[in-house]
Formats: sequence, C-alpha cells, structure tokens
Amino acid sequence: MAQEEQSGRSIFTDLDDGSTNEQVDKWQRTARLWKETLIEQWKMLTDELSVKLSLFVVAAFVLIAIFAPLIAPYPPLQRQYQGDAGILIEKWADPSLLGADNGYLLGTTAEGFDIFSQLVYGTRAALMVGLIAAVFTAGIGTLVGLVAGYYGGKVDDALMRVVDFLYGMPLLPTVIVLVAVLGPNLWNIILALIILQWRSTARVIRSQALSLRERPFVKAAEVAGASDWHIISRHLAPNVLPMTFLYGSFGIAWAILAEAGVSFIGLGDPNTVSWGTMLQASRAYSALQFGAWWWFVPPGICIGLLVISGFLIGRGYEEITNPKLQ
Amino acid sequence: MGKASFVVRRTLQLVVTLWAVGTVLFGLFRLMPGDPTSYVVSSQMTQEARRQIIESYGLNEPLYVQYIKFLQNLVVLDFGQSFHSNQPVTQVIATYLPNTLVLMLTAFIAAYTIGITLGVLSGWYRGSRFERSTVITALTARSVPTFYVGLIVLWIFGAELGVIPMSGMTSLGTQNAGFWEMVFSVDFLQHLLAPALVLGFYFMGYPLLIMRSSMLEVLSEDFIDVCRAKGLKERTIMFKHAARNAMLPVVTAAAIALGYAVGGSVLIETVFAWPGIGREMVRAVLRRDFPVAQGTFIVLAATIIILNFVADLAYGYLDPRVTYD
Amino acid sequence: MSLLEVEDLEVYYETEDGPAQAVDGVSFELEEGENLGIVGESGCGKTTLAKSIIGILPDAGYVNGGEIRFKGDDLTDMTGAQRRRLKWEEISMVAQSAMNSLDPVYTIREQIVEAIETHRPGTGRTESTEIVTEMFELVGLDPDRADDYPHQFSGGMRQRAMIAMALALEPSLILADEPTTALDVIMQDQILKRMGKIQDEVNSSMLVITHDVSVVAETCDRVLVMYAGKVAEEGPVEEIFGQPYHPYTIGLKRAFPNIRKPTQDLLSIAGYPPELVDPPTGCRFAERCPMATDRCREEEPEAHQMNGLRSYCHYAEDIDTELRPYADNPETWSQTAAARKAETGNVGGD
Repeated sequence: MAQEEQSGRSIFTDLDDGSTNEQVDKWQRTARLWKETLIEQWKMLTDELSVKLSLFVVAAFVLIAIFAPLIAPYPPLQRQYQGDAGILIEKWADPSLLGADNGYLLGTTAEGFDIFSQLVYGTRAALMVGLIAAVFTAGIGTLVGLVAGYYGGKVDDALMRVVDFLYGMPLLPTVIVLVAVLGPNLWNIILALIILQWRSTARVIRSQALSLRERPFVKAAEVAGASDWHIISRHLAPNVLPMTFLYGSFGIAWAILAEAGVSFIGLGDPNTVSWGTMLQASRAYSALQFGAWWWFVPPGICIGLLVISGFLIGRGYEEITNPKLQ
Repeated sequence: MGKASFVVRRTLQLVVTLWAVGTVLFGLFRLMPGDPTSYVVSSQMTQEARRQIIESYGLNEPLYVQYIKFLQNLVVLDFGQSFHSNQPVTQVIATYLPNTLVLMLTAFIAAYTIGITLGVLSGWYRGSRFERSTVITALTARSVPTFYVGLIVLWIFGAELGVIPMSGMTSLGTQNAGFWEMVFSVDFLQHLLAPALVLGFYFMGYPLLIMRSSMLEVLSEDFIDVCRAKGLKERTIMFKHAARNAMLPVVTAAAIALGYAVGGSVLIETVFAWPGIGREMVRAVLRRDFPVAQGTFIVLAATIIILNFVADLAYGYLDPRVTYD
Repeated sequence: MSLLEVEDLEVYYETEDGPAQAVDGVSFELEEGENLGIVGESGCGKTTLAKSIIGILPDAGYVNGGEIRFKGDDLTDMTGAQRRRLKWEEISMVAQSAMNSLDPVYTIREQIVEAIETHRPGTGRTESTEIVTEMFELVGLDPDRADDYPHQFSGGMRQRAMIAMALALEPSLILADEPTTALDVIMQDQILKRMGKIQDEVNSSMLVITHDVSVVAETCDRVLVMYAGKVAEEGPVEEIFGQPYHPYTIGLKRAFPNIRKPTQDLLSIAGYPPELVDPPTGCRFAERCPMATDRCREEEPEAHQMNGLRSYCHYAEDIDTELRPYADNPETWSQTAAARKAETGNVGGD
C-alpha cells in the first residue's frame, strides 16, 4: 500500500543531501513534493463512489455559496412587502413551489424574509464556519501534536495537560459561554470552536509523532545536525498529513453542527443568516405548530447533507489510511 | 508503575483538571459584558440598599478575594445563590440534574444496547446488505443534528398527529408526590418517549460504528479460528469471544460519550422544553445569572471529567493485558 | 479403514476475479497413530486443506468437490451440528501462530474448560481441573499457572498451552498448522520433542502443516508435498527427502539446511507459484521447473508409483537415470524456466 510506504520514509529525504542548492531552488522542490503528495492522496480518495458523491455535494454547496447573490432572488434580510401598498406580508407567504402565485419559491418567514434566499445565503455561513474552523483546528492541533510528540518530556506533559483540560470542557456549553462573553457573532462562534476543537487532532497527531520520531530517517536527520524546526516541518509534518486531512474533514462536519446548535439556542449572529438561525427563527414563530414545514425542513436537510458529506469524505480517507478497516 | 500509583496519579490529574475548569469559568463569567447586578439590583433602590445587596454577594471585593472564596466554596460544593431567584445554586442543580439524568440514561442505555448489538452483527456479517444498511443508518443518525430531528418529530407527531406532547416533562397541573413517583407515571413516560427516542437514535451511531470496526479487527485474529475449531456455537463465538474482545474500545468510548451526552443535553432539552440542567444553564447564561450558570456548567464539566476517569480505570479491569506504565 | 481419507478434494475461494482453486484434486490417507506432514510454499493450499478438514474455512471458501472421510464418515456431507460434535472431541488443532491463538481476555484454564464443557456437558469442576492439570503436566507447564492470562505467558509457553488445549479431549487427530514457526530454534526443538513424546502416550494421529522441511523430518512418518493446490509427491519421509521423484521436492529440499551436509549452499527456487484463479494447464510446476518440456505445459501429470512413493511428474521414471545429476547441480535452480528457455532452448527428458 502506497500509504504505508509513504509513512515509512520522509518524502524529503532526497532534499537533504543537495544542500548546495540555492534557497529558491530548494523551496521550489519543496513545493513540488508537497504538490505530488497531495495529488497522490487525492487520487486514492476519489476512488470510492460515496466519496465522489460527497465531494460533488460539497462542491455544489461551495458554488452556491460563491454565487449566492446571483442565485438568491432577494437579500436574505430584506423584508418582502405585499403589493404596492407597502404592507408587510401578513403571517407568511406560502411557497410558490406548492402552487402559491407569489414568486417566493419556499415562501417567506413570519418576518417577511424570503426563505429560499435565506437558505442560499445560509450556505455561506455554514461553509465559512466549517472551513475556517476546520483549517484552524486541524492546523493548530497538528502543530501542537508535532511539537509535543517531537520534544516529549516537559513540553509534551504541559501541552497534553492543556489538551486534557480542554477534553474536560463540554463542547456546546463552553461555546455558549464563550459566545456570551465575546458577543454573539459568527467570528466569535468560529473562535470558540477553534479554541476547543483542536484537542482531538493534537492527541492523534502527537501519538503519530511519537512513533515517527523513532524512525531511522528522523534519527539520521538529527545526527546530521538538522534543526528541530527542520525535522518537524520536513520529516514529521508530511507524514502526519493524512491524519490532519482526516481530522480536518471531520472538523468541518462538527463545526457546522455546532454552529447550527449555538444559533438554534439563540446565540447566533443576528446580522448573518445561517441555517441554525433560520431554525431558531422558525421555532420562535411557532412554525412547527402552524405546520409551515417549508420554513424549518430545508435548512435541516442542508445541514445534514453537508455534514454527512464531510463524514463520508473523512471515512473514505480513514479507509485508505487504515488498511485494517477495509 | 503499579495500579495503585496509577490511580493516585490519575486522581490528582482529575483534581487539577477540575480546578482548571473552575478557574477558567470564574474568569469567563467576570469578563462577561453587562452588569450582573442589574438583574438583582433594581434602579429604584437607594444607594444604600444597592450597596448592601452587592456586598451580600461579595461582588465589591477585590477579584482575588472573590476567587479564593470561589475556590473555597467549590470544595464544599457551594456555588452561591441565584441572582435571579435567590435560591441556593445547589438546590437549582438538585432540581434539574435528575431530570437530565433520567432522559440521558434512558436514551443512552437503549442506544448502547441496540448500537452494540447491531455493531456486533454488522461486523460478523460483513459485506452483507444488513451491514451496509446499518452503517448508512448510523452515519445518517450522526449527521443530522439531534435538535433538528427533534423538531421534525415534534412537528409530525406532536403538531400534525397530536400523539406526543409538545413540550415539558409532565402535563400542566400534574402533581406528583416525589421524583420517583413522577418518573413512573404514565404521563411522564409519554413526555419522555419522543426526546429519548431522538437522542437514542443519535447516540446509537457511535457504538455501532466503533463496535463494527473493532469486530472486524478481532474477527481476523487467529483465536477466532481456534474457537470455531473447538466446536463452539456461532452465537458463543460471536458474543462470548469476538464481541467481548471488541468491546474494549467501546466501553471507554461509552463512558466518555455519556459525559458528552450529559454535556450536550443543552439542545435536546431546549427543543423539547425538558427542564434539565443543560437548558437551565443556557437560560442562566442568557440572563447573566452567574452563580447558576457557573454551578450548572461545573456539574456538566465534572460529569465529563469524572466519566473519563472512570473509563480509564474500567479499562484496566476489562483488559487483563493493560499495564500501568 | 484409515482414520482420515481425503479423496479428490477441491476447495475454492470466491474472489473478485472468479474462484481461486486453492486445493485442487488432493487425495491422501492417514492411518491411526500415524503422522503426516504437509509441506509446500505459502499459498500452496496446505492451510486451506487443514481448515477444510477441521471445518473452519472462511466465508469465501467452500468445498467444491471430493470427500473427506473421517472414520468412514464423509465430513463434507454433514450438517453443521454433526460437524461441531466432531470438532475438538475428534479433530483438534494447534493454530498457526501461538501468539494470537488464545483469547486474550480469558485465562488458559477458562479456555480449556470451555472446550471440555462444550463437548462433555456435565463434567464437574473437579474433573475438568484434573484434566487441565494433567494436560499442563504433559506439555511441561506448571499447573498452578493455568489461571494466568495468555499475555502472562512467553511465546513458547503459549504454544505449549495451545497444545495442552488441543490434547484436552484426547482427539484422534490433531492438525498442527506451523506449530513452531513463531518460536526460536531451541524452543522449536523442545516443543517438537515434547509433541513426539505426547503422541506416543495418547496415540493420536497428527497432520503437521509447515513450510519447514526440517519440522516434518523430525516429527512425521510420511509427507505430502503440495504445490499450487495440487499434490506433487507423497511418501515416507526417508524416501521423499532421501530420494525424491519430483523436481519440486528436489528444489524444496535444497531450500533448507541439511544436517548431514551442512556445507551445502541453500537454494531457493526462482520464480513464483502460478495464479490459482485461472491456473495454467499441464503441470503447475512447469513454469518454474528447470526440466520442463512442452508436454509438462500441456498435459496434466498422473501419479507414478516409484519406490514406495507417489510422484506427479511425467518424468518420474526418468529421474534416476537422466535428471538427478542435473537437478542436483545448484546452478540448475538459479534461473527461471522462462529465462533458461530463452538462453539454451529446451532442456529436458526427451
């Protein structure tokens, strides 16, 4: 399996003897090797059908998010008025999808917002939260894990106690308190998620780093007098990359779920429309009791689709990195 | 290192973690914007009355004094009094925690019994249609937010069909002599059914998936072949040997997951208006009721930390191979 | 009536590319009290053969044809329950790797008692304790340690515990699949000696499956050489390893150190066994055989009775007269048949 082979040696081994090369040249080669690793991983990943479908779903949501202003007929927080009289729509408009003749595909909310437009713009919030939180949690987690695993001893102890502490914090309540302290907006939700969620990546990467640092190529680099940073970035990091990706893709899913939860509780960003805030609003206006399902069913389906795609991509990736599961 | 010293070290770690959680909480709540006293102190009060109230909560003292007092009180499990209702926080916790535990444990036990069994079967019958459908179900269960499933269940079965109550733990006006009388009343069970099922469905996915992959690993071991050669019945091999070995990671995961379940009780309790500790915590945070928010949060965090601790210890008993180095 | 008669046994595995013919038309007999060794490279079907006899083929494997008669009854014809009754009581096994063949979460005693109670319900505690003690003493383990978990035992002890468990019900047949591969040489020797002694005491037959010729030489009366799912040669140990009549056996023999000729160079047979999904016609060894001819590649060899053994080589009768000197030359084995053919053309019997 190519994966095992890759983790058995550093992909940079050939770089270290050519130390006479110019710095620029070296960086070019580094970039090329990184690129090759990424392409190789990508090819293995797209082998499976469920992963392909999931990637397709994610790509579709990304496109919707990018072209939201073109797809959505109205700004998400623009009140819709009935006729020319300027009267706010009473109660809510039924969806034109069900035959109502008003141009609102999924109807409007009780506040007079176009639901379809909100749904489209909600994609932006979800992806932003998911991607930013995942990149940072996986990034920070990997860095901390590598440092802890590589240095070991007191550094490892100290960092792992921080991780233990974070593991003692219940996710949602902590995010709720943090958002309450920092103020309810999307960035603070993302920040709160990052503060907590790097813990799992750090733990896994650390144990990988612990075993990697005993490998001959790391020992060899140490003997050759390579700096710690050089060893971490050139020898350890590329080899834990698959795990970072894995946790990153799970991280997207968890972040989207958490944002939806926090928003649903009422600590969402009042100025941004997310699928979670839509659900919260529908609940606040008792859409449930009135049976206005077109308000609260679509956002949940979107959350589910995006999250399950994240899980499936992660699982697909897990299977190529862990042959025992196949 | 022996088992005893492992337990001692792990206990110390537990105490330190609890202290750290408490300290961070103390800091966070004091950073929170908005004057908490405004909920206690009405603007019509005289300066003197206002000062007295603030003093009675100890809010006029320097931060470090407040902190030391906070820690002292924490040790004796005194979380102060609610700004909002003046009740002692311990009493608030005693009111809401059992409700959360009943809901969580019901859902959890059902989910883990079913999830583990399905995991064993899907690992045993790998490659079958049964395996594929259970795995997809488990993944779906874990991908759709519980509160959303709760909403849909409330809409269909509550609002449209009217077969389940829309909110709460008991019907309005019901009087129960005590907690256990309530728990075993038909009315309570009717209220419990929907949230427990929704939660259970969500919880089920995790043990199912872990158990399945753990089974797959165990089934490839040689001792399974020996068991078959010994002429043991399929069921004996599946449960007594394969599942028993595959259980180890699930048991740890279960203890940890139960902690997070209690910690994550916030959403489902909000959806079903279940008067539990998670919902109470959110309400306390929203109305800046520090003592209650702090107390309930610490209970949630402590549940997680203690169950992590239990999981670590339990592992040693379940797996004879564990050494404490 | 022999204890075990295997006749034209075919065991296939379902694979994505079609059925793999792991065991293809294997026949042999095993008498009571006799030890038969089955040797061959890994993947030649010897483990599959053992698994089909004891009845633990994996899900993808199935008996496609032939018979396995144990004390006259055809095992392939039995229901699951009938078969289960025979397991361990009549046919037990010592599994391939000592390290993982015991369940790590139960003590050795629990695992032996489980076997006893499964087949002899109603066995009292004292009686089963007695059996465990007796078996532990038999294999040279301290009976006080029966309540240890497998991980508390060393590799050699675990293997002895495994043997103790295999003997607990005094079965007529023991299948030993690579019984000593996981052990170091000294331990290997001890275990083999011990097994020989025990056998004399309990008088059970044994089927020793191994790729290690020396293990067979030490423990067995007769030996069956398998290659790519088929029998290559079969006969008494002395004959097979003294004067074999199949080129594969000759090559295999040279791949292991010989105690009598310690200076002889060790050889490996160049090339790999053929695919079993769509095996080549003719003799399966032809591709690697230094003496193969066109006939070998086209025509499947029949059994030739030679000097007390049975060889499946077209040229078995010519081995002594023409081929042995050639086959005994180390250089003969250093190239694959294809390479040889390209170099020197067809070298062979006729």
